[in-house]
Amino acid sequence: MKYRLRHRTTYAYEREVSFARCVLRLTPRSSATQTVLESAITVTPEPSARLVRIGPFGAEILTVTVDKPHKALVIEANSRIDVHVPPAGDPDASQPWEVVRTRALNTADLSPDGPASYLFPTVRTPIVPEITEYTRQSFPPGRPIIAAASELNDRINQEFKYDPGATEVSTPVAQAFAARHGVCQDFAQIMICGLRGLGLPVKYVSGYLRTIPPPGQPRLEGADATHAWVAVWCGDAAGWVGFDPTNAILAGNDHLVLAIGRDYADVAPIDGVILASGDQTLKVEVDVIPEEEPTAAHA
Amino acid sequence: MAPRPPAGASPERLSQWLAGYRPLPGVPDELFDAAGKPRGHWLGFLREFASYPDADSDGRFGMAARHIRDSGASYRIYGEETERSWPLDPLPLIIPQAEWDQIAAGVTQRAELMEAILRDIYGEGRLVNEGVLPAAAITGSPDFLRAMRGVAPPAGRYLQIYAADLGRGPDGRWWVLDDRAQAPSGAGYALENRLVVSRAYPNLYNRLNVHRLAPFFDALRRGMAATADRSEPRICLLTPGPFSQTYFEQAHLARYLGFLLVEGDDLVARDGKVWVRTIAGLKRADVILRRVDADFLDPLELNAASRLGTPGMLEAIRAGGVTVLNMPGSGVLESRALLSFMPGLCRRLLGEELKLPNIATWWCGQAAEQALVEARLDELAVAPAFPGSGHFAEPRLAADLSPQEMAVLRQRLAERPGDFVGQEVAQLSTMPVLRDGQLQPAPFALRVFAAVTPEGVRILPGGFCRTSDRPDARVISMGEGARTADVWVVDDKPVERLSLIASGDEVKVRRILGHLPSRAADNLFWLGRYIERTEATLRLVRALCSSLMDSESSLHGRGQTFESLRRVLVDWGALDGETRPARALDSARDALHDASAWGSVTYLVRSAKRTASGMRERLSADFWGLLVDLEGDLAGGANEIHSEAQALEQVEKALRHLAGLSGLTQENMNRVAGWRFLDMGRRIERGANTCQLARTLAHDAATIDDLDLLLDLNDSQITYRARYLVGLALNAVRDLVMLDPFNTRSVAFQVAALKDHLAVLPTLQEDGILEEPSKILLPLAAELETEDAATLHADKVKTYEAALMRLSNAVADRFFLQGANAVPTVKLVGLA
Repeated sequence: MKYRLRHRTTYAYEREVSFARCVLRLTPRSSATQTVLESAITVTPEPSARLVRIGPFGAEILTVTVDKPHKALVIEANSRIDVHVPPAGDPDASQPWEVVRTRALNTADLSPDGPASYLFPTVRTPIVPEITEYTRQSFPPGRPIIAAASELNDRINQEFKYDPGATEVSTPVAQAFAARHGVCQDFAQIMICGLRGLGLPVKYVSGYLRTIPPPGQPRLEGADATHAWVAVWCGDAAGWVGFDPTNAILAGNDHLVLAIGRDYADVAPIDGVILASGDQTLKVEVDVIPEEEPTAAHA
Repeated sequence: MAPRPPAGASPERLSQWLAGYRPLPGVPDELFDAAGKPRGHWLGFLREFASYPDADSDGRFGMAARHIRDSGASYRIYGEETERSWPLDPLPLIIPQAEWDQIAAGVTQRAELMEAILRDIYGEGRLVNEGVLPAAAITGSPDFLRAMRGVAPPAGRYLQIYAADLGRGPDGRWWVLDDRAQAPSGAGYALENRLVVSRAYPNLYNRLNVHRLAPFFDALRRGMAATADRSEPRICLLTPGPFSQTYFEQAHLARYLGFLLVEGDDLVARDGKVWVRTIAGLKRADVILRRVDADFLDPLELNAASRLGTPGMLEAIRAGGVTVLNMPGSGVLESRALLSFMPGLCRRLLGEELKLPNIATWWCGQAAEQALVEARLDELAVAPAFPGSGHFAEPRLAADLSPQEMAVLRQRLAERPGDFVGQEVAQLSTMPVLRDGQLQPAPFALRVFAAVTPEGVRILPGGFCRTSDRPDARVISMGEGARTADVWVVDDKPVERLSLIASGDEVKVRRILGHLPSRAADNLFWLGRYIERTEATLRLVRALCSSLMDSESSLHGRGQTFESLRRVLVDWGALDGETRPARALDSARDALHDASAWGSVTYLVRSAKRTASGMRERLSADFWGLLVDLEGDLAGGANEIHSEAQALEQVEKALRHLAGLSGLTQENMNRVAGWRFLDMGRRIERGANTCQLARTLAHDAATIDDLDLLLDLNDSQITYRARYLVGLALNAVRDLVMLDPFNTRSVAFQVAALKDHLAVLPTLQEDGILEEPSKILLPLAAELETEDAATLHADKVKTYEAALMRLSNAVADRFFLQGANAVPTVKLVGLA
């Protein structure tokens, strides 16, 4: 499935800004499940310096410096991506989850594709005993990991309320868990905390979800905006499997991966500093346009 | 020579000490050997020590310790408001040369091993790829910085300073308890401890052949300078700031080593390099010794919430434009999980056996080790495998856990085994300490420092020793009320008395040391303003007391003078204008001691001290001592004011302290930029204060009393009386206080002095265009030079006062951090 993708961020400043330096994690990366055909980032005003490097999680990171005075900063990322997620295997044929745990602790892979980097708690995804306890209910001894994780994925979807007004990007995961509500980021982080609490390796995935409103079915949440889900390492054979707890589905050909990390902090699309004293406002527009279909969703 | 005690006293004291000393059963002791006999080197020391007549009292040592308090050598516990005084034991830990040689060889080897491990982890990664180290034993550390993989350290080395915490185990061998590789602290404390102990017992220190510490620090400095690509590099010590637990140590080290003490805000990363903001603009920072944990170094790439770092720092490191030591990411070595792999890593990387063993450690991330720890849970200590991981912050003994805690631990251990290590519970050996005049054994740990120098790895002959009051001590933290001791490495032959005098060829003579950092200029300026305001407020309170006491003044109506004074004190925030105390005397007391009033003397002195504490490396110990005394005297006097005379006495005493501070700044401070900012602060404050007093007391309808009071407050009575025999006249007083360029207290004199300062301070651009401060100051100076006292009405004085306040802001904008050349950085917000 091929897509055209546009992710446009506009910062508007109350007073003129003389200097800005931004780290942009806006370049999608090719992997086993997707091929990036084209990608480009434009910044207005024109940066005085652009520096590209490979970031800690394998993706391209662009650092830009803008040193001419400006009252608006526009960052637009455009790309074409071919998503080709292989069909999921039989969940009950996957490895028992305890075997995966032991294996993950002893892999000889320090790269961002190995499981070792995603085993440990982070500031945003700490070990929360209540969340571990909640997760444990789906993980009886010996259960195949994909089956167990799928059940957890469904439970979060059923037992938590999707409520865009209830949380912010900085809401602690324990708080969203206790209140049983949130948005995609909260659900992803709850699932991460729970699985890591049991010693399992799990990634935070940021990206986009294609909008498909079939007749008579509810519209998928998170459409036409940035979306977040998780990927669980299910052993050497099965590798990373994507779970989208917001929609109770496995990540498939409608999920476009932008960045992976241990939590949101690793994948934040833009981190920046500016020399400024006034207020600022932020606008984000996202378009995910399937190339095969003429009718495109709009942000 | 120290006075000798009466014959017989010292042997008696010694035998009494030894007789009362009871080493713990089964635990090696430094003083007594296994046979229960005192060891020779300790006995020699104690014999001499006991001969000090006041050896078992606090007298001599207390005096030296007081010096520490006065020089501000205290450390701050995180989140604690008041500083705690430094708990230093009088007796040093004594280690004979032969034994020290083994320790030094062991720590040197370990420093090289640590370097080799980092080079592999952040480089090729062969240790993981080839199965020597599980990847998770590295990724579990929050100090493993993925962003640093593949980045070669600009100076070729990851570690500049490494420290090992050592303890002597039950078998009598030295063991490594912990590795310190992020930004080891304690070397500065070791220096300060040595200063105090050698000062308290100079003869003893000189007679025993104690190795000096200075050569190590000299080599460290040369080692750091050698990492830069310029011959005279600017070396900075990056501190988290005055609220850091070890801020004093950092300030002390920076001053001792001649490094610039900077905070993250003081630095700017641009064009692949790092720069210091100075009063002359941005100047290059070549080498940075960091005391900020790596995660906080760069909010752009690492912890985005950090306020301690510098955005873009990592990029400058990658570009090779700055050397940051230890290299960010070095902290990964501090994980206990790695301890269990050290013997194998040493063989593999260095081809040697470890010279100093680790404390026995099992990382539960491996199935066999997990099973072993679970089976022996009752006899092992369980500790976090990585900083902050696991269930407990510190190692715990299973025996200390409740059944509920034990159940939780077992579950956590089963579900997240990689978070834990099991460690052998080794009791630490004990050393003698003095408690209440008695010699007692106390467990101790010793931090030994290694530095990379042009001559290779070098070990500080001494260290930072911490003793515990708990006899079963295993892990000692400063936060747990432990004490510290100096460490003497004693040679059997005389040690080289190396002084730090370099030979003539090596030293290029210079008179000015680089450019003043903007933050320091800012602090000095405000220190000057606080000190001047304190003095002016004290003069007001003195006048207030005099007006109450002086019977003669009642002839002119003392009530009115009193009211004028009170009004100024209310204006200045020294008194609450709403409530009027029952007694006049209460006003004097409040203006001195009401800590809730932002203009009271107590408040101002505290502000001055706080400002000074942020740049301790720039102030002499005497200066700081006077500030501490001033605050102490004030605090002691709060409840001692029952009469005008008592209040007056306190005021006079405080004014004498301030005169001492002024004397020190005039006579002992180099006439470089720092002094100019301190003096500018004083002059602007004094000028503005004088303007306000002049328009309040020398207005067109002023009385004799008003003018008399103004001369008092302006300290110009004697000058006036000498110059005029006719008594007080309005124009003459105005001229003397406002316009007279020869009166050191006049506004004109302050402005002239300010003009001199601005004329020699650097400008940002050499285009001949005046900078903003000069644009304000020069017209003011011209006006004051040409003004006539007869037309000097209150509204005109007010414009002068306003100009001085504008000048203060312009100086801040031009020279300080919050100025226009460095608008504060704001984080971009929002989920983009």
